[in-house]
Parts: sequence; structure tokens; C-alpha cells
Amino acid sequence: MAKKRWLSVLLSAAMVAGSLAMAVPAQAEEGEVQEITWMFWDDLEASEDNITKGFKEVIDRFNADYEGVYHVTPITTQLEEYYTQLNALVDADQTPDVFIVSPGPNLTDYVAPGVAAPLDEYLEADGWKDTFAGDAVFAQQTYDGKIYAVPLNTAAACVFYNKEIFEEAGVEVPKTYDELLDVCQKIKDAGYTPITISAGTAWCLSMLAGYLCDREGVDLAACNSGEESWVNEKTIAAGEKLKELSQYFQETAAGDSNDDATAALYFEEAAILIQGSWAIGQMNGANPDFEEKCGVFQFPAIEGGNDPNRIIAKSDSLAMSSSTQYPEACVALMKYFTDDTAQKYTAEVGGKIPVTNVEYDASVAPAQLADVMEIFENASATFGFYNESLVSSDAGSYFDNQMVAIYQGEKTPEEAFQAVEDWYAENGYR
Amino acid sequence: MDKLLKNKVAIFIFVAPALILFTVVLFIPILTSFYYALCDYSKVTRSYTFNGIENFKWLAKDPTIRIAFKNSMFFLVFSCVSQLIMGILLAGLLTNIKKGRNFFKNVIYMPCVLSSAALGLLWAFLFHAKIGINNVLSTFGIKGPGWLYETSGFITLPMWVIAFVALWQYVGQSMMLYMAQISGISNSLYEASYIDGATKVKAFRYITLPLLKPMIGTAMSLNAIGSLKFFDLIYSMLGDKTENLKMDVLATYLYRTGFSSKGGNHYGRASAIGLVLVVLCLLATAIINRIFKTESYEM
Repeated sequence: MAKKRWLSVLLSAAMVAGSLAMAVPAQAEEGEVQEITWMFWDDLEASEDNITKGFKEVIDRFNADYEGVYHVTPITTQLEEYYTQLNALVDADQTPDVFIVSPGPNLTDYVAPGVAAPLDEYLEADGWKDTFAGDAVFAQQTYDGKIYAVPLNTAAACVFYNKEIFEEAGVEVPKTYDELLDVCQKIKDAGYTPITISAGTAWCLSMLAGYLCDREGVDLAACNSGEESWVNEKTIAAGEKLKELSQYFQETAAGDSNDDATAALYFEEAAILIQGSWAIGQMNGANPDFEEKCGVFQFPAIEGGNDPNRIIAKSDSLAMSSSTQYPEACVALMKYFTDDTAQKYTAEVGGKIPVTNVEYDASVAPAQLADVMEIFENASATFGFYNESLVSSDAGSYFDNQMVAIYQGEKTPEEAFQAVEDWYAENGYR
Repeated sequence: MDKLLKNKVAIFIFVAPALILFTVVLFIPILTSFYYALCDYSKVTRSYTFNGIENFKWLAKDPTIRIAFKNSMFFLVFSCVSQLIMGILLAGLLTNIKKGRNFFKNVIYMPCVLSSAALGLLWAFLFHAKIGINNVLSTFGIKGPGWLYETSGFITLPMWVIAFVALWQYVGQSMMLYMAQISGISNSLYEASYIDGATKVKAFRYITLPLLKPMIGTAMSLNAIGSLKFFDLIYSMLGDKTENLKMDVLATYLYRTGFSSKGGNHYGRASAIGLVLVVLCLLATAIINRIFKTESYEM
């Protein structure tokens, strides 16, 4: 009996100890492999996106070249879940050593509380910074003179279209908003969906709204600072045009995800997609036959409005955790993403604009990249996504939702922009 | 065994794992969430300052909480009523059939034990705008509705769709509870009623239903709490579109406010929503228990 009692006590004690056991991260001893993590917003194994495939190659190459020294383990999520899961890891003191992030309020969220580490000393150390195409590529990643993230590529938001449908409908590339309306009507008359867009993924619709606001001449800085109200004739006109264009969206736009909407273009169900040039890798990866049918043009001008050569540009960037145990391994990994092999791939296969001075073979690059490069080179200025250019990421989400409300007819443009103004009044201007 | 039960140390050691686990992962977080509800607590920065009832003031004027509350109430009422009717109906039918009872019982109960996330994805495919049911309808020349994105109406179509899926998934649980109760009713009661000239319908009305009353209370409480906490099916079927589709319920709104980057990672506000949820769960349980308060019967 005594034996049984002691056994039960021992087992119970083991259970108690087990329930209290905490996962303690192992410390690598000298000479051991330095393990780091890298977090990204797509599935490296399942994705058909060529940029994602390129990132997988970088990871594999890094792990092979540094075998026995460094090793990186990817943490991947869906794009929509990315920041939620990243924040959860940050909050649990398990910040990935290296993580991808969009410049703007998203990066600010990690720079302000000290989650992201400054990278200047590493960039300056061995001429790494000189490989980039000038200091301007770091403009959106710089806070108080310090660089907190390394850009990997640049993409421009453009209008992608199906050349065959345009030909069939007998329309030319529109230069102005009125011409765009005319083109959409003729495509609709020809039996096709004129514009495919996602309102289910709110930032897609918001990107179009951002273009309309900019073309109308909205002074974003003044609205952000409170010098000008969000309810003004330019924002209202942009909202009205968003509503006007929505008659040409696919019927399922409200529920379609970004992937659904993009697929409608490359599966030739719709004629026009307003999207960033990051979609080139996705379109060509999923349907290589579409590449030669796909044209690109600049978002049309609004007569009497702002400079029509301004384009929305965005870069994917890598930040390093300030709590990483292995900064050297992290920097080595980031260098692999910006070396010639990776950057050539970015242009020649991914269809994105490289951020370094790498020379790539334009003849093997996706056909759409030449058009994007032309638009980019002719641009008078670039500006960010509206939702990433507001006072905070909260403000960006709120703006996105108001644009969806205009599209769904739940709010008039006046009501929607009044709501944005009210949000600023309550939460603060820049 | 009796000796063991008298040994307080042994009892404590056996209880300790569950007690510690319960305290660490449930009791302490619940208590701290009371405090967080009174703080301006941002997740990433991990800095929090006491701000009194500011989060509750924010809740009072927040339009989304009203939508979430309305939707949660809809799911509560729909779930309680539909599962009561369907659960008793299925239990009554299956108790009275002789062949295939176990087969149907298992088939109806099976969705309960499957992952809600997987089922949600499955149903999301079926109700997708272009594939699934709409694809079948289109072969007959019928244009299917936007099952999961139609936003018109006080109770929108996606809410009815998800409520139906929830009924399909959880009706087995109610059915099992009612079947257990029915099987405990003595046959002599029915036999006596038949001798007195009662029909089967009357026996069901005057014997089965009154004796089911305590279980109706239990099942309804479980349904009410489950539907107020309802999250997994909605999230797996709609993802992060709940706000724009006006499909937030209290649990999804709590998640978005506290955890999603789109909600701003406001732990304090999310904790306040959590407290509202706790109060509603307690209220619903109290009301249901009051309505279905019964004496114990010898069955």
C-alpha cells in the first residue's frame, strides 16, 4: 500500500511539474548552428506566386551555403493574417529574428516601441549600402535619420488589362477618367466584366480610392495634419467617382478576395485590374499563357485635376528584431535577399523592380515589367497607399472601411469622409 | 479508496494539476482582464495606463458594437429556438425507430466532433460566389445569391447561412441530450397513459415534454452560451471581412479589437467587450434557468 501511495504521489508530482514546465529557448553554444526565424506573408511551399518562389530559393540557398553555421526557419502565414500573427509573436516575446513589413504606419508600429532594430551599422560596415540604387530607396524606412528596414523590391500600382478583350471591344488604352468610363461601357457591351476588384479585401478598393483622391488633388498631408478637413470637394468628387466606377465591377466584388479578383483577370473573365505590379508574379505564375495578353497602363488623369504622372509605389522590406540573439545571422540572411542572384530573379522572374544596381536581362523578364518600368521612369513623383500614409494603421483600416461603405452604398461620399474626419478629431491628427 | 480519500495531502496532489492549470490559464486571465478593461493597453508596445471607464464609454458610442450585439442576439435566439425544436424532434424520432437508430444518431452527431475551422472552410466553398451551390444553380440558368456577402436587410443573408451551418453542426449535441433524458423516462408512465386513452401525441405533450423540461433548460443554456461565444465558424467562413460585411458578433469583434492588426490591438477595449460577453452569458443563463426552473420528478 505504501508503495502504491508513493507511486501515486510521484506521478502526481510529475504531472504538477509537467503542467508548470515552461518552454525555455535553447541557447546556442559557441560553435553551434545559429538558429534564426524569418516571417513572411505567403506559403513558401504552396504558393504559385513567382516572388514567393524566389524567396523560397533565397532561404534554401542561405541554409545550404551556411550549413553548420547559420540556419533560418521560415514562419509563414496568409497575407490577411500576417500582422495579427506577427503582433502575437511580438507580444509573447517571440519576435521573429527577421520579418517582412510594409513601410509606413506598419513599420512605425515596430520602430516606435523598439521592436525593430536600426540597421545603419550593418549597412555601412562593408559597402552593403552602396549596392542599393541610391539612398532614396531607404526613404520610407528611415526614422530620425536611422534606417530600420531593408527594401527588397519596388512595385508600382498600375492598371493591368487584357489586350484581346480590349481589341474585341474596339477600345484603346484610356488616358483620362472619362475615357476609362467609356472603355468600361464598351467592354460591358461586349459581354465582359470591365473591372475586377476586391472589396472583400478592403485595401484593394482603397487603393483605387487613393488614386482617385490623388488625381483629384487631395492634399493628404493637410488632411492628416488637420489643416484641411477630410470633407472637401476633392475628396467628395473622388468618392463619387469611386461609386460611379463601381457599376463596372464584377458582381461578386463585395465578397471576392484579392486572389479571386486577380484570378478573374488572368483567367480572362474580366478586362481590367487595378493592382500593384507585385501581381505580375502571381498572374504569370498561375497562368503563364496570360503574360503576352496582359498590357499595363498608368492610372488615367482626371481633367482639371492633379498631375497624372504620380504613381503609387510600395516596397517589401525586411526588419530585424532588436531582441535577436544572432544579428550577424540576420544580416547575412538579409544580404541574401538583396544580392545579385535574388535581385535578378526579382526582375527577370518576379516582375518587380529591383532595389539594387543589379543588371538584369530585360528580354527574359516578364513582358509586363517593361511597361511598369516605363511608367515608373516617367513618373513625376511617387506616393504611398492611402491606408499606409495616414496617421496610423488604425486610421488606414478605418479609411479602407469607409471606402467599402461608399462602394456598398451604405454611406454617401460626404458621410464616409465625415466619418474619417470624425475619427481624426477623436484620435488625433499628425 | 476510502483511506485515500481521507488523506488530504493525496487529495491535494491529485487536484493540484487541474487546479494550477485552471488558475493559470483561466482564473488569473479572467481577473486580469477585469483590470485591463479599465486600462489603455496596447499590445505591441505593452504599455498600459489606467483610464477608468474610458473603454466602456468608447463601447457605448461605438457603432460596430451595436451591430455585433444585434448579430449575437440573433444567433442566440435562432440557436436556442431552432436547436430546441430540431433537437427534440430528432430525439423523438430516433427514440421511436428500431432500425438504424445508431446509424442516424452517429450521422447527426458527427459534425459536432469535427473541427469547426475545417467545416467552415468546407461550407465557405459551398457558398462561394462562383463555385459550389451557385455553380450548380448556374447550370440550370439560375443566378445564385451572394450567400456570404449580401449586406442588405436587418438580418443579412450571410447571417442566416452561418446560423444554418451552426444548426447543422450542433443539433446533434442537443439531440443527444434530449435522447438521454427521454430514455430515462419510465415506460410505465406511457403505458398508464395509453390505458387512460392517451394518444402518442398526447403522451408526448403531457409526459415527454414536461419531463424534458430540466434538460431543455440545460441544453438551452449550453446553446445560449455557445452562440454568444460564437466565433470559429464565422471566422473560418468570412475571414477578416466581418466588419465590412456587417457580420461581426461580440466574439469576432473582441478578436479584431484585441488581436487583429486591423482593429488596432487594443487589449483594454477587447477586455471591455469580453466583460460585456461574460455579463451577457451570465444573464442568459440566469434567465433560462428561471424560465425552466423545475421540481425534481421521479421518472
